[in-house]
Amino acid sequence: MDTNDHAAIQAVLAGDKEAYGGLVVRHSQTLFRVAFRITGNEADAEDVVQEAFLRGYRKLEGFESRANFGTWIYRIAVHCALDRVKSRRGDQDSRVGDANDPELDQVQVADQAAGPERLLLSGEIASMQLAALHSLTATERTAFVLRHMEDRTTAEIGAALGIDPNAAKQAVFRAVQKMRRRLAPLRVAT
Amino acid sequence: MTHLTEEEMIAKAYGESENTAAVERHLRACPLCADGFAELKRDLADIDRIEAPVRDLRYGDRVWAAIAGALPAYALRKRALQEDAGEDAGDRVWWNLAGSGFWANPWNNLWVKGLGYAAACALLVSSAFYAGRVWQMKQAPAPVAHVETPKAQAPRTPIVVVVLDDHLDRSERFLVELKHADLDSSAMESPLRDEARSLLAANRVCRKNVGQADDPELTTALDHLDSLLADAANEPGGLNAKSIAELQQTMNAEGLLFEVRVLRSRIGHRAPVEDPERGGTI
Repeated sequence: MDTNDHAAIQAVLAGDKEAYGGLVVRHSQTLFRVAFRITGNEADAEDVVQEAFLRGYRKLEGFESRANFGTWIYRIAVHCALDRVKSRRGDQDSRVGDANDPELDQVQVADQAAGPERLLLSGEIASMQLAALHSLTATERTAFVLRHMEDRTTAEIGAALGIDPNAAKQAVFRAVQKMRRRLAPLRVAT
Repeated sequence: MTHLTEEEMIAKAYGESENTAAVERHLRACPLCADGFAELKRDLADIDRIEAPVRDLRYGDRVWAAIAGALPAYALRKRALQEDAGEDAGDRVWWNLAGSGFWANPWNNLWVKGLGYAAACALLVSSAFYAGRVWQMKQAPAPVAHVETPKAQAPRTPIVVVVLDDHLDRSERFLVELKHADLDSSAMESPLRDEARSLLAANRVCRKNVGQADDPELTTALDHLDSLLADAANEPGGLNAKSIAELQQTMNAEGLLFEVRVLRSRIGHRAPVEDPERGGTI
């Protein structure tokens, strides 16, 4: 692991609280990026970063010195972000989970009426992609973000989500399948 | 020939195929699967990465400043836990306080700081009102004198802004403590209740002043805060894990912490502006 991080952790555990500040400064940007990608919301992402570091501090005694602090705190942040998305969405997962819902399909392709020119606008494409991402369950979305945008392996995703690597793999599969189905109108239009 | 499944193609696209050589062989031999795989790769490439908003280099410092106050020093915490194990149950609260460095340096303790700020806040509010009353009495016109314009009261108003900012600052810290309260430990129950009581009194003073400023957003937030603080301060039999969990639920449901943070940033960045109709600001 990073020797700076290792030294800082030893100092914190010896009573130097301020040493934790160095770790916070070093890893805040990375945590904010992944938190934003998962929550899709700046304010939530900032809360997640703070919460992750608070949780990390409380659990620091259980941190294994052989491990990498960056990876460890990253996992905590992913957990916090996932909790946040779940609590925000409530029962939304069950409502939007069915990609074959004709009503949803109707909403999904409504923009086609505006014509292919409009669909070509990057803003429109981005908003459809975001809508597709939001249609995933919290776990699928997090797994997809970690795989597709953060380039994490399924083993890492499983560890971050606290699930079996195979379950993580299945979550990524389901997410990709749903995303492709929902973005199919875009492909046809372009 | 058995075609590749979509799952096998997805695994291949992300470089996590279980049998890369066999999959590649099949893709070379099967045009149908090759086309399907090429389409999948195109689809994945079309899904943009979400770019997070840029945070400046001081972002980490701000995060640290926001959480540092809520963290007890580690060695002290550890020692308190060891000592706590050897003490009678009646001494637990004492050692929990010792664990947070309370007796070593009381001013470093968040709750003592909180009480200090509460006292300062109350003193400032009282001073502001007293100064205002004295000033008004001194400036009161003779029965036939012309009415002074409200602008003359301006010097009093920045104090109120500062008091409100301090109050929101304390409230935010209280909400953060509540949010992260350890339900398995009783150490925070009493300090949380005491802080809630202290904040409740200050909140009502602020709410009264805000009521005159015609700021519905601020009034609503202080109303929500009032309700939560009243529940925390007046819980029959004191706070316990269940009541803290309920308070956390209420706080999350109303998005109170976020509301207070938004108001803080708004008020913190707002220069005191006079209300032309009332001659005061909040």
